[in-house]
Amino acid sequence: MTNQEIWVYAEKHLGIIQPVTYQLITKANAIANGKKVVVILFEATDNNLEDTIKEYGPDEIVVVKDDRLKDAADSEIAFLMAELASRRQPNSILFGATVVGRSIAPRLQAKLNTGLTSDCLNLSFDGDLLVQTKPSYGDNIMCEIICPDHRPQMASVRPNTFESIKVSNKSVMVTEVIDLPFKVADRIKIMEETPLLSKSDSIASADRVIALGRGAVDDNVIAMAEELARKLGSKIGVTRPLTDHPKFSGDDQIGQSGNTIAPKLLINLGIHGAVQYTTGIENAELVISVDKDPEAPIFKHSDYSYVGDSADFLKGFLKVVQ
Amino acid sequence: MSSMGLKIVVCIKQVPVSNNLKIDPITKNLIRSGESGIMNPFDKNAIEAALRLKDKWGGEITLLSMGPPDFEMTLRQGLAMGCDDAILLSSRQFGGADTLATGYVLSQAIKELGDVDLVLFGRQSVDADTSQVGPIVSEFLDWPQITFVSDLHSYSKQAMTATRLLENMQQKIEFQLPAVVTVRSEMNEPRYPTPRNIQQSYKKDIRIWDEKSFQVDPNRIGLKGSPTVVRSVWAPEKEAKATKFLKGTADEAIRELLIQLRANNLL
Repeated sequence: MTNQEIWVYAEKHLGIIQPVTYQLITKANAIANGKKVVVILFEATDNNLEDTIKEYGPDEIVVVKDDRLKDAADSEIAFLMAELASRRQPNSILFGATVVGRSIAPRLQAKLNTGLTSDCLNLSFDGDLLVQTKPSYGDNIMCEIICPDHRPQMASVRPNTFESIKVSNKSVMVTEVIDLPFKVADRIKIMEETPLLSKSDSIASADRVIALGRGAVDDNVIAMAEELARKLGSKIGVTRPLTDHPKFSGDDQIGQSGNTIAPKLLINLGIHGAVQYTTGIENAELVISVDKDPEAPIFKHSDYSYVGDSADFLKGFLKVVQ
Repeated sequence: MSSMGLKIVVCIKQVPVSNNLKIDPITKNLIRSGESGIMNPFDKNAIEAALRLKDKWGGEITLLSMGPPDFEMTLRQGLAMGCDDAILLSSRQFGGADTLATGYVLSQAIKELGDVDLVLFGRQSVDADTSQVGPIVSEFLDWPQITFVSDLHSYSKQAMTATRLLENMQQKIEFQLPAVVTVRSEMNEPRYPTPRNIQQSYKKDIRIWDEKSFQVDPNRIGLKGSPTVVRSVWAPEKEAKATKFLKGTADEAIRELLIQLRANNLL
């Protein structure tokens, strides 16, 4: 069992490793039980992203350096992963359930003719078997999924489900693979990559979030919420109906098919609390909610609840914070 | 590649009307209480994208779905939006398929159709939420995939550009057909069926294909072709937080709240 490997795919955007990669390394370390945690990193020749990955203490980083990897197509990455997997026969491969993870992992799954479970909320090992806990039907149902007869076992994990913890004093082996064939996808080309400022990444990683729902759509309510957000240093997120508002988009959405957030402070305004929304706030620490309906389900997910008008609440709040 | 217009396939799925399903505490089976299904909402965006391409370039749109006979209802709805043709892949042999077996069967059906230029999917289904099937089909067809696309421009019948939205960046991608594209709801506003299209949809045949209608490896379909196994299913007990209701006017409530926020070092 000692030679078995758990792989973590290192996801990078614009040359920066995404937090979910570190979360996966930490989780893999916690459940490894003697298995080797190996990060697979594809980067351009002038990158050295292995240096930051090291801090999270995997056992090994396998790196492929090639300038075509700066903006490679899904199929090119999947091809390289499949080549590596056929050489090293990992026990399992983990991805973030991000756009990239959800795109490369199934392509690789089809190449390797194995199972993949998307959007897992927990992982554990039962011997060599990776037990994957996945929500279904809008998180109303949880399933435990296994892949008994095929290897590797593959899973993608929802970002911000696990903590990332730095590990000191661990020696991390770095292995550069230089003889992988590169199958160029010549019918697809990424022309340009541009960062989306503010948007979902900042909500997902924000310490403080003010969330607006259907009961907080008036222009003056939004304006006051923006002012409070500036004063508290928080980001603004919305429920699905508000993504149609010209100020917001799908990237600002919290909940199922939006972002999962984990702030220290969350203030919900005019949000009733459908399960599609509350799914995205389960990891929030202190939750304050304001809604006109005393029976609103959001209050069951809140530490402090106020039955009343969001505008009055904001007015009162703005008076006391400077 | 077809010489006249674009030959587009849109893969769609029927999902439960509501996600509020219960589990029978004894049998552990899902209680579906005889409810019917609806079209996966993101699939409507994929159909709308196909219809706009057809408006521009001409051609034909075939709807493709795999599932039990009552999935016809959803295919009929897609026909009413203006699609030309529908195929339901339906057989007991296809039953119990996970994403891999589903993707395999869909890709074999697309190969059987032949000369397809573009395959569209919704970004993911709202029941199982996997978003796996589009990429699996792309791999089996060995075509480029462009997933989570929010904007699609076709400047010729052979080449298009897409905007792909990621969590904190966007990509501008150029690609050549044939290709697989999965569509975000940001891309468009799906049209409503017109009375004329609804009427016409009932004149269109829905073809039913089983494992004998096209080439499939019996070991790669249904339960047999599915590597994953559901070991257990349960409804999580959502623990309600012990909430404290703040009383009085908004100002009074804020005052009480401030004490708690300061105690928690949040102010």
